[in-house]
Amino acid sequence: MRYALLLMGAPYSHQASHSALRFAQAVVARGHRLEAVFFYHDGVQNAARLAAPPQDEPHLVDAWVSLHREHDVALQVCIAAALRRGLMDRREAERHGKSGHSLAAPFELTGLGQLVDLGLRCDRLVTFGP
Amino acid sequence: MLLHIVNRSPATSQVYRQALEGMGQDDRLLLIEDGVQGALPQLVRYYDGLQGRLFALKEDLASRGLLGRCDGEVQVVDVDGFVALTEEAERTVSWY
Repeated sequence: MRYALLLMGAPYSHQASHSALRFAQAVVARGHRLEAVFFYHDGVQNAARLAAPPQDEPHLVDAWVSLHREHDVALQVCIAAALRRGLMDRREAERHGKSGHSLAAPFELTGLGQLVDLGLRCDRLVTFGP
Repeated sequence: MLLHIVNRSPATSQVYRQALEGMGQDDRLLLIEDGVQGALPQLVRYYDGLQGRLFALKEDLASRGLLGRCDGEVQVVDVDGFVALTEEAERTVSWY
């Protein structure tokens, strides 16, 4: 089956990010195709390029990137939610006159149209709220 | 059949009521995160009438020291079982 996840909880404030990551790993382990994880609301903080948690803690950003590299899972971030929270890629940083960018690659800034598309394309869309 | 997912304890949140009101006769309910507290014998009465359709996530029970303390009516599933429940359901609805 084709799956997509919607993640709306901030890391460290809620369990949602860890729940979604564990679920995502189980989805691919069962042989399903995980098309994308869509990061929305405070969930966009999962894409913070400068996140540096203690080394003895799970590194959420790195874990999402691994999921992308190993299983070709798209990491889509709502651009409106991201910009409000200071998360932007190099292009947006230049456009807004900011000195640095804060969105980790391969997370990509997208719009809600992509979320609607995932809902239409995938067999299952599972939401992890705050 | 839909799978409803609740991540709040019925002791601290009213969201379980919305979930119950939104559930169809064959729908299933999975308790995750703090929601697994609802699987305890002291709180399971909030989910009266869901016999055979009430599930709780094993990993979240374990991380709270609650594994083995669930009411007998609750079916404990691990994350693999969570995915299986989403396979069997037509859609999932998350309440938070």
